[in-house]
Amino acid sequence: MAEAFTATGRLRSARLVARAPILRSPLNVVALAIIAIFALCAVFAPLIAPYDPLAQALGSRLEPPSPEHWLGTDQLGRDIFSRLLYGSRISLVIGIAVVASAGIFGTFVGLIAGYAGGLVDEALMRLTEVFLAFPALILAMAIAGALGPSLTNAIIALAAVTWAIYARLARGQILSLRRREFVEAARGIGASQLRIILRHLLPNAVAPLMVQASFDMGSVIIAAAGLSFIGFGAQPPTPEWGVMISEGRNFISTQPWLSLFPGLAILLAVGSFNLLGDGLRDAFDPRLSRSD
Amino acid sequence: MRFVGFLLRRIVGIAAVMIGVSVITFAISHVVPADPAVAALGDHATDAQIAAFRAEYHLDRPLPEQYVTYVVGILHGDLGKSIRTRRAVADDLADSFPATLELSFAALAISLLVGIPAGIWSAIYRGRVPDVIVRVAALAGGSLPVFWLGLIVIGLFYYQLGWLPGGGRLDTFVPPPPTRTGLYVVDSLLALDFDALRSSLIHLVLPSLTLGYFSTAVIARMTRSSMLEVLGQDYMRTARAKGLAERLIVVRHGLRNALIPTVTIIGLTFGSLLSGAVLTETIFSWPGLGRYATASAISLDFPAVLGVTLLAAIVYPVANLAVDVAYYWLDPRIQRG
Amino acid sequence: MFRQLRYTSIVFAVVLLVAAACGPAANPSASPGASASASPSAGGAASTLVIDQDVSDLISLDPAVVYEFSGVLLAHNVYDTLVRFEGTDLSTIKPGLATSWDTKDAGTTWDMTFKLKTGQKFASGNAVTADDVVYSFQRAIKLNKSPAFLFTDIAQLKAESIKASDPSTVVISLPKTASPAAFLTILTFTLGGVVDSKEVKTKETGGDSGSAYLLDHSSGSGPYVVDHWTKNAEVLLKTNPNYAGTKPPLSGILVKHVPESTNQQFALEKGDADVARNLTPQQISALQGKAGVSTTTAASLLLVYVGMNALKPPLNNVNVREALRTAVDYDGIIKDLLKGNGKKIQGIVPLGLAGANETAPFQADVAKAQTLLTQANVGKVTLDFLVPTGTAPGGVAWSDLGAKLQSDWAKIGVTVNIKQQPTADLLTTYRAQQGQLVLINWGPDYPDPDANVGPFTDYKAKSIAYRNGWDDAAIAQKGRDAALITDPAKRVAAYKDITDYVLHNGPYVILYQPTELFGLRSNVKGFNWSSIGWVDFASVTK
Repeated sequence: MAEAFTATGRLRSARLVARAPILRSPLNVVALAIIAIFALCAVFAPLIAPYDPLAQALGSRLEPPSPEHWLGTDQLGRDIFSRLLYGSRISLVIGIAVVASAGIFGTFVGLIAGYAGGLVDEALMRLTEVFLAFPALILAMAIAGALGPSLTNAIIALAAVTWAIYARLARGQILSLRRREFVEAARGIGASQLRIILRHLLPNAVAPLMVQASFDMGSVIIAAAGLSFIGFGAQPPTPEWGVMISEGRNFISTQPWLSLFPGLAILLAVGSFNLLGDGLRDAFDPRLSRSD
Repeated sequence: MRFVGFLLRRIVGIAAVMIGVSVITFAISHVVPADPAVAALGDHATDAQIAAFRAEYHLDRPLPEQYVTYVVGILHGDLGKSIRTRRAVADDLADSFPATLELSFAALAISLLVGIPAGIWSAIYRGRVPDVIVRVAALAGGSLPVFWLGLIVIGLFYYQLGWLPGGGRLDTFVPPPPTRTGLYVVDSLLALDFDALRSSLIHLVLPSLTLGYFSTAVIARMTRSSMLEVLGQDYMRTARAKGLAERLIVVRHGLRNALIPTVTIIGLTFGSLLSGAVLTETIFSWPGLGRYATASAISLDFPAVLGVTLLAAIVYPVANLAVDVAYYWLDPRIQRG
Repeated sequence: MFRQLRYTSIVFAVVLLVAAACGPAANPSASPGASASASPSAGGAASTLVIDQDVSDLISLDPAVVYEFSGVLLAHNVYDTLVRFEGTDLSTIKPGLATSWDTKDAGTTWDMTFKLKTGQKFASGNAVTADDVVYSFQRAIKLNKSPAFLFTDIAQLKAESIKASDPSTVVISLPKTASPAAFLTILTFTLGGVVDSKEVKTKETGGDSGSAYLLDHSSGSGPYVVDHWTKNAEVLLKTNPNYAGTKPPLSGILVKHVPESTNQQFALEKGDADVARNLTPQQISALQGKAGVSTTTAASLLLVYVGMNALKPPLNNVNVREALRTAVDYDGIIKDLLKGNGKKIQGIVPLGLAGANETAPFQADVAKAQTLLTQANVGKVTLDFLVPTGTAPGGVAWSDLGAKLQSDWAKIGVTVNIKQQPTADLLTTYRAQQGQLVLINWGPDYPDPDANVGPFTDYKAKSIAYRNGWDDAAIAQKGRDAALITDPAKRVAAYKDITDYVLHNGPYVILYQPTELFGLRSNVKGFNWSSIGWVDFASVTK
């Protein structure tokens, strides 16, 4: 597995690449770096942010970027840079909460379906089909609308929309792996069903799930922002990026920076997760080396 | 005969999925702490009016009974009455669906017409400038919130430059063509109404570009990666060794195989376009299903939410079925099983 | 390669065929007039007023059904009423379809006789007769939709109390417990719109009194008729060819549904719209001085307020309520958040109605508020604050208003937790007396002070006082008595008394009376918005 040569024959530091094929490409390094910065911002927001994101200063509203306010102020005089930093916390939390819960639940369902087979498999797969048939945003709106708009309900809604794909991926992996020799061997030596699942099937099934998770981090952040934009997710005055874009949309002709910066933040964060997903996919599948 | 069996099985499958969708949506819409009657009648309504409203919409019946009434209604083509608009949901959907369909088609067309060539171009010039351009653009496309893009695009192309209209399907003073399909471009062609044709096309540009950016990116990436896979095959190396002319033939052959995954995801892309339409329609004042869904969800109008969800949920399986039917008929290998 | 193209084009063709098959299904919902005569040009752009606004509240154009702002605006210009207000003056009742009227004491009832003007015609060409008036009012009572309570509860009318004594005279009998003055103001509302009974009777289906037809068609005698209503998109009014009065200068009124205020602003600046209704105060400021556009404001009768639930401790303590009232920075809200687009009012009767009380003693006094809290001796106060989603009247986001109040109250040590909800959820909670602090607005149903005083003081009316758990029998009775006073000066004095009391004892923090903001093209003249919620299109030119 430690292929030190890319398809075009370039050599990277053999040992580093041997440990972490993902670092083969400079793009992946950039992606990880951005994500790391994003995570650091989120964790250390209270220390980095120059102002309280909720503090209103009606006297200094709608100011363009300046030395006092690096990214300007919004319609209530709140510092946009500080709000962006706190927003990164929220986006990160949403992403992790949704992907973790949907991923774990979906994987679990998929494992059961793949391993049990037969009627259980059939029933569970029908269930995933139902959830996959829903257009994501519409189901999310229905759930958030019914439960009431809030960050928590947006997370629930997005998780409901996301879990099905993990179930299918996990099941697919299980199906292809369960016939492999090592499962026969394990059974041969008397390992229990659960042990087989956990110790042998799961680690090998993980690869496409991780790729999916990375892409989903990005799409969940965008979806959550979209929900907040139409009023179903996080609510003002929470400094969530979608809320900020929504609040700024009435000022777009005169003070465009209100909506511009949160949008750029989303672009950067989601872009790096997408890059990471690409990189993970290539790392796990060196046959089809598509990245450079 | 095999075809009929195949078709029947798929239709039964779709029906099963739709039942599941309807049960789940019904359950969701009724787990509502708020009262839809209050939503509809507002602050000034008397208790008597609210009670009358609830009776009219069967809100006072137990849940399973409401569900059964609903399903029986569907079998008669009656999707219930919208709590917000007080009209038949079926009529509301018939009004708004064509607009979304037209927008989605336009976005899909753009995705294919721009995405596929971009993906090919990028694969052929892999590692060089065109590749970088396409990959950066595709990355951005997959990472941009569509509502933010829409705001910027309107601000730039409508407000600052004045090149394109900022919303709606037609110019204010251009009457819509006689309704045949509800798709203005098609209808105006059928009626040879070139004013309406021009106006509807111009109005489609910005919203479909915005909506289509994401799927263009997806299709470009997919085309690129399958082209690369094909280009890396043994027969390609042989062709390269043999000379240019052969290579051209092989590229064309390779292209055909490379496009298979792309065609396969048309159905999936269409489904995601419907989702993205929700936000695009809000920004561009596009009177379609997405905007109707948003308004319905906000006012707890669950017959409408149910109707929209059922309609949207059926599109993906039907589109997939259409693609599969096409494959089945046209590829003798599949027929032979 | 070509096979892929073939597959793709077949898929497209299949879906197009499906769409075309849906076509005939799409047709019935489009009103028959729409496809054929959808041309808004009886003159085109130059003589059509284009109004961009959020029309999502439009449900029906039937005067017996219409109750929301968009519908009222349109129906007002399509249907005539027996009596009307002229322009923006809300104090003098003027003749409408009726040229004269009088009220006689008939023992157990007030008998009001209305004599109709001669020569009035409906758009269909039929003459306006007393039978049409009787039919219109009776169908409103029978349909019993949202506005019907104005007839049945406030005026306590029954269908048989409305009679035509001859083709041009209508006699309406009100019970002695109802106020003829209030009834006259109710008659100016769209509920009193008179429909062409001969035409509507032919359109009745399934006992709906023609409601399905009148939902998107008109049958009135006003200066305009409904040409078409494309749902979720636009409504077009055209001039009534048989209008008995002066022909309006503008031949078309097009109301376009544009929910985004940014889009409205762009359209206005580019000349694609003549009037923009939902601009924010910032956008209005930004329009000042720009070529081709102007702005105008108009009074409204709305009140934006916070309801404090007197059933939930510590809000049952008068000092706590007074402290919350005292702590709010009213001037800051009006000056900074609304950019001046609101009037300072702290009483329950809005400015513009007789009986409005301009006393406004509260303005952020942290020390005083804290003293009151200490006097109340309730310890630390933490409350839930329900805030609607969207934009408040006056153009400020509800959330911004909520955030400002939260920070004002934090200054006196009161913690409020904002819970933002769509109006539907909020109203459900509020109506059930389950809110603690609720941010919301109220508009009177008809331009009479009782339309506010009743709801705000009478617990039994199951309106605002009920929702805030304020059961004060004495003030409720004073309100009811004041409604029936006929002498204007005595009535004003009675309302001063009542509003002063509510100011310090009631469960309300009245924040401001919003000003309606309009962006206009500079060539639009005569757009005189009446605070009751409409404008007479017949007086607008461009």
